[in-house]
Amino acid sequence: MTAEIGTVHLSMDELAARLARALPGELTELRIQDPDTVIAQVDPAALKRVARRLHDLPEIAFDSLTLISTVDYGPHFDCVYHLYSFAANRYLELHVRLPRGKPAVDTVSDVWPSANWHEREAWDMMGIRFLGHPDPRRILLKDDWIGHPLRKDYVDLIENHPYV
Amino acid sequence: MSEPFITQAPDEAMELALRRIRQADAAGKPSDLAGLALDQVVVNMGPQHPSTHGVLRLVVTLDGEIVRDVIPVIGYLHRCKEKLAEKRTYYQYIPIVDRTEYVAGINCEWGYVLTVEKLAGIEPPRRAEFIRVIMAELNRIASHLIGVGTFVADLAPLGTAMVFYMFRDREPILDLLEEATGARMMFNYFRPGGVRFDLPPGFEERCRAFLDRFPKLIDEYESLVDTNAVFLQRTVGKGVVTRQDVVDYSLTGPLARAAGVPFDLRRTRPYSVYPELDFDVCTEQHGDVFDRYRVRINEMRQSRKIILQCLDMMPKGPVQVGTLRPPYVITPPPGSAYTAQENPRGEYGTYIVSDGSRYPYRLKFRDPCFVNLQILPKLMRGNKIADAVAISGSMDLVLGGIDR
Repeated sequence: MTAEIGTVHLSMDELAARLARALPGELTELRIQDPDTVIAQVDPAALKRVARRLHDLPEIAFDSLTLISTVDYGPHFDCVYHLYSFAANRYLELHVRLPRGKPAVDTVSDVWPSANWHEREAWDMMGIRFLGHPDPRRILLKDDWIGHPLRKDYVDLIENHPYV
Repeated sequence: MSEPFITQAPDEAMELALRRIRQADAAGKPSDLAGLALDQVVVNMGPQHPSTHGVLRLVVTLDGEIVRDVIPVIGYLHRCKEKLAEKRTYYQYIPIVDRTEYVAGINCEWGYVLTVEKLAGIEPPRRAEFIRVIMAELNRIASHLIGVGTFVADLAPLGTAMVFYMFRDREPILDLLEEATGARMMFNYFRPGGVRFDLPPGFEERCRAFLDRFPKLIDEYESLVDTNAVFLQRTVGKGVVTRQDVVDYSLTGPLARAAGVPFDLRRTRPYSVYPELDFDVCTEQHGDVFDRYRVRINEMRQSRKIILQCLDMMPKGPVQVGTLRPPYVITPPPGSAYTAQENPRGEYGTYIVSDGSRYPYRLKFRDPCFVNLQILPKLMRGNKIADAVAISGSMDLVLGGIDR
């Protein structure tokens, strides 16, 4: 751990090439979006393995998880892991596609501790299960809330609110 | 085994706290004060508590005066802002962004507007960029004044003086913001492609007049607090954040910089005209409560420096590109974008997915306080309950942002 940020200078093409080399066959659809962001798609079954490898990459470790976003696309959910590498000062968006019928994926809160609350929020708002999560409670809504509001098919029934 | 004393009917967070006590007992783990494990008390602190600055609830497991475990419970201010975005046009949503982290509304607006501009490929005119920097840095000073003022007020009797001084000096800043935007806190000022109005006549002189006075005021704050024995005893060495914590928990803002990590998005992922401006990223070495206070004080000086440069460099010209006209609709092409903006509390990120319609398909905020709050239990454990208040105060939490 260094106190400096961006000590490793890599062009985006070099970064993408290095990621592809470090994770052969794991990252489908690797592309460069912004001057500092790489977007990669990963299979849900491989997520834990890929997460561990990315966290421990030599030199350009993606050791910080800044955010987990979830998007409801109808037939599937997208789980987007926004990763940041302090050493390279570069961002990586890891997209995981989950089927609507069984939206579950391994937790990465043991790889990046900051994932804990983001995963709780994803469960609370989007109804995505994180297998092996240490504290799988709701976070923003109350404990006995029914449904997951950020799903596109969510209907808020008045009968579900005994206090109003 | 005797049941631990409970102060109210348990909910899930309470039950979790009780379960953890029982597990520790069952595993026979020796605590630091051996034999006192059974005397632990679960206390409900908040959601209405003067030192949490909002509706933060902490389920605290106490061992005498020592904090053994903390379970933060949030969501009391949840207003489903992310869901609201899906039924509003990109313009209609701007006033709602103000209300996420209301202490630094301009900075939040900027984070949102940056993402919309990136999605839609809009480039604001140069004068608007300088106006944005001036407004954001003024708001940063105002926000730090609240953050430091209320934090010191929690600590010692002298804090009451400090908090009044700081609220007094925040007023001229709010007056300046009101002159330019029309509102004191809920600004609704930034637009994709610029800002709503140009600066009013005489703004520059009044801004300079305030900034000329401001260094003396900061010196006054420092003379009140920096050498005060009570303040130092309660802040130095308390709630230490290490560099590894910064990486693991993705901490940003003064929390990270006080731990010696020079992470400032204005430098690491520059946006707007920040690359042209000369300022320092304020860092400290120890990462304790005192250092976080020092970082905020120093950042106010840097913000002043930035505003003065902007006033000098600001060109004449339009303050918006031609997007602001009826029917006030922008339709970004399908795709997604994430941008981050350096809020007074850290990285304020906005992730927007567009499906090509007038409304965002999905909007997600990364609120710095939400992420920073995760480390609170780790910082509080082992400290006295009074210091726990100092630690949570030094994190400058705004619950409007955390709960969204």
